[in-house]
Amino acid sequence: MTSLTQPARPPGRRLAAFAVASEPGNERLALDQVAAAVASSGLTPARLERLKTAVAEATMNAIEHGNLGQPDVPVDVEVIQDGADIIVAITDLGGEHQPAGPAEEPDLALKLDGVQRARGWGLFLIRNMVDGMQVRTDGQRHTVELTMRSEGDQT
Amino acid sequence: MKRTCTATVHEVGGAAVIELTGEVDGGAAGTLNAAYDQAVTGGAAGTLVLDFAAVDYINSTGIALIVSVLARARSERRAVVASGLSAHYREIFDITRLSDFIEVFADLDTAVSQVAGPAA
Repeated sequence: MTSLTQPARPPGRRLAAFAVASEPGNERLALDQVAAAVASSGLTPARLERLKTAVAEATMNAIEHGNLGQPDVPVDVEVIQDGADIIVAITDLGGEHQPAGPAEEPDLALKLDGVQRARGWGLFLIRNMVDGMQVRTDGQRHTVELTMRSEGDQT
Repeated sequence: MKRTCTATVHEVGGAAVIELTGEVDGGAAGTLNAAYDQAVTGGAAGTLVLDFAAVDYINSTGIALIVSVLARARSERRAVVASGLSAHYREIFDITRLSDFIEVFADLDTAVSQVAGPAA
């Protein structure tokens, strides 16, 4: 069965496509390669740092929650430029699952009081770092798509 | 290449300074907890200064570790301040509201000058 929670992404110019093994720490490889791929795309340094954090969190989630840390199961990363949009698609083979963390919004005061657990910041960080996030699932392929606009970037 | 988190602990004027290097991620838990233990053992350490000047990566698990340190410090009536954060991680401290509970200083010298008492 195919479940699409969002429409397929539009065509664009592929800047990079690569895979990383599902091993702890490999999110750093992903963010470094994405950073290299978008180096000439017009993102300011501040927004590039935001994109890097979102890529790292989404990749870490794909490794841990999608591919369950199985090193032989790759996380695929594709970087597309579509006009002013930089789109990074991160795909695991875990089927339908939560992108990251708990469904509840993290609340630091509740965490400090022990009401919420200390973890659970991943999805929150992704949402706050990029201009758009879409999730789609096609059978086992679960893709988180991050969009960052470069046009008119003043920050 | 991954840069494992290390921590150096020293005391300045009654404040305990924990200088971190490398990556603050899930692998930093042991280092950070051991540094905290060292910082508060045998001294008042009313204030802990976490210096991030030599930290090049913090992920969501690292944020959770900082939350745990802050929670422990608050339960022991200790203040926590931070220094040396890059603009990006300063923004993340703001977004997560860590900066509501952890005063952030531009650099370690400024932090120490603000929180430490006179050197013995």
